Amino acid sequence: MPGRIVVPGELITEERKLRGSHTHIQGGKIYSDCLGLSREGNDKVSVIPLQGKYMPYMNDVIIGVIVDERMAVYIVDINSYYNAVIPKRLLRDPLRVGSTICAKIISVNEVNEADLTGIREFFGGEIFLVSPVKVPRIIGRNNSMLEVLRKGTGSTIMVGRNGRVWAKDGNIELLVEALDKIQRESHTEHLTSRMEEFFGGKLKGGARKDMLKPELKKGSEAKK
Amino acid sequence: MTGKDKKIVYVDKGGKRLDGRKVNELRPIKIEAGVVPRADGSAYLEWGQNKVIAAVYGPKECLPKHKANPYKAVINYTYRMAAFSVPDRKNPRPGRREMEISKVSGEALQQAVMVENFPNAMINVDVEIFDSNAGTRVAALTAASVAMADAGIPMRDIVSGVSVGKAGGNIIVDLTKEEEDAEDAVDVPLAFLPNTGELVLLQLDGLLTEKELKDAIKLGEEAAKKVQGLQAAALKKKYSEALKVKEAVK
Repeated sequence: MPGRIVVPGELITEERKLRGSHTHIQGGKIYSDCLGLSREGNDKVSVIPLQGKYMPYMNDVIIGVIVDERMAVYIVDINSYYNAVIPKRLLRDPLRVGSTICAKIISVNEVNEADLTGIREFFGGEIFLVSPVKVPRIIGRNNSMLEVLRKGTGSTIMVGRNGRVWAKDGNIELLVEALDKIQRESHTEHLTSRMEEFFGGKLKGGARKDMLKPELKKGSEAKK
Repeated sequence: MTGKDKKIVYVDKGGKRLDGRKVNELRPIKIEAGVVPRADGSAYLEWGQNKVIAAVYGPKECLPKHKANPYKAVINYTYRMAAFSVPDRKNPRPGRREMEISKVSGEALQQAVMVENFPNAMINVDVEIFDSNAGTRVAALTAASVAMADAGIPMRDIVSGVSVGKAGGNIIVDLTKEEEDAEDAVDVPLAFLPNTGELVLLQLDGLLTEKELKDAIKLGEEAAKKVQGLQAAALKKKYSEALKVKEAVK
């Protein structure tokens, strides 16, 4: 899996391969352009950054916080280098400064301004910050890790691609512990099964099962 | 080889300098990445007696707005010397010299950073010199580029700075203050992108022949590669320790 740590400008390979993320070509050789872990496949190389903020991409689901209100728009902090705007005419109910929302990015223009759609406001719950480069591990392949988290903590969880996690009900303290563990060990293999073990140990008391919400139970049964 | 009144031999017959270094030898360099927790990226550097802290903030919204460029990010580089960094107290007000260094260093850094990825944004780089003994602008640029990489900002290459020059008729690398005060001294701060050998900073006042300048740049390029090795090692060290802990958990 993950290869060695590379720094910007470090040679990854001299072979001709497909360029993945965070790589660039100089004189036919592939170099890294950020501090990260290089991942070299048979026909593709990429670098997974260890640092860095979220960059908006199309079809990402993100969690934003309203930071400002103008005449016709709301300014949303999407935990990125750039803020997004929501035109008020898209909304049926008004938002306030400080409201947290969940939205999907429909398009990003050439100056990295994101257009949002499917805006829903959160009521209650808590928001946690995680490193945006580790969000794929928190979700897992086909939501596998997210399912483990939902079952293990009994919380309703929403993971934004921009490094914000919203959670309500259930065992929030356990969730924080689990998120920390995932981030610490994000580069290791078989993390999902280890997280199952992690929750298995915590669940020995058998107290968590009754915390599962009925609709969540239904969802997890359907998955089976 | 000799001054008029005092005879200072800058390079002796054994090829040793005043502080015992060879002509192409650098002063000891120590770099640490990630020392300012509130900054997006930071670095601490000791280069001989020079002590530097660099911090990177951003990319973020460009303020004042009229400075924003819709094609690339603007790099705001601030080089500052602490009042206590020189033998006499330095007036802390930014002077002509600091503004000039800030400008050229920022432009050098811009060659390495993929500024075109961040239109309309601004990247603030603040570098503070705490102790100085010649070659602070290259030390500052070296630290700033480590901080930039630590912030996770995409870069084509790490910028490695080194100063070369002439003292007592010899072309030498990494001059100290003593050597810079030689009668015929010429100081040439250089910064390279070591992979391509691109020269991104060159300042020169004084007289050098064409051959001398070429020799100096050649020596500088070799030295810059050594500096780059140290920068890369510092960045990797920060994470290899963290990864080791993780592997133990596994």
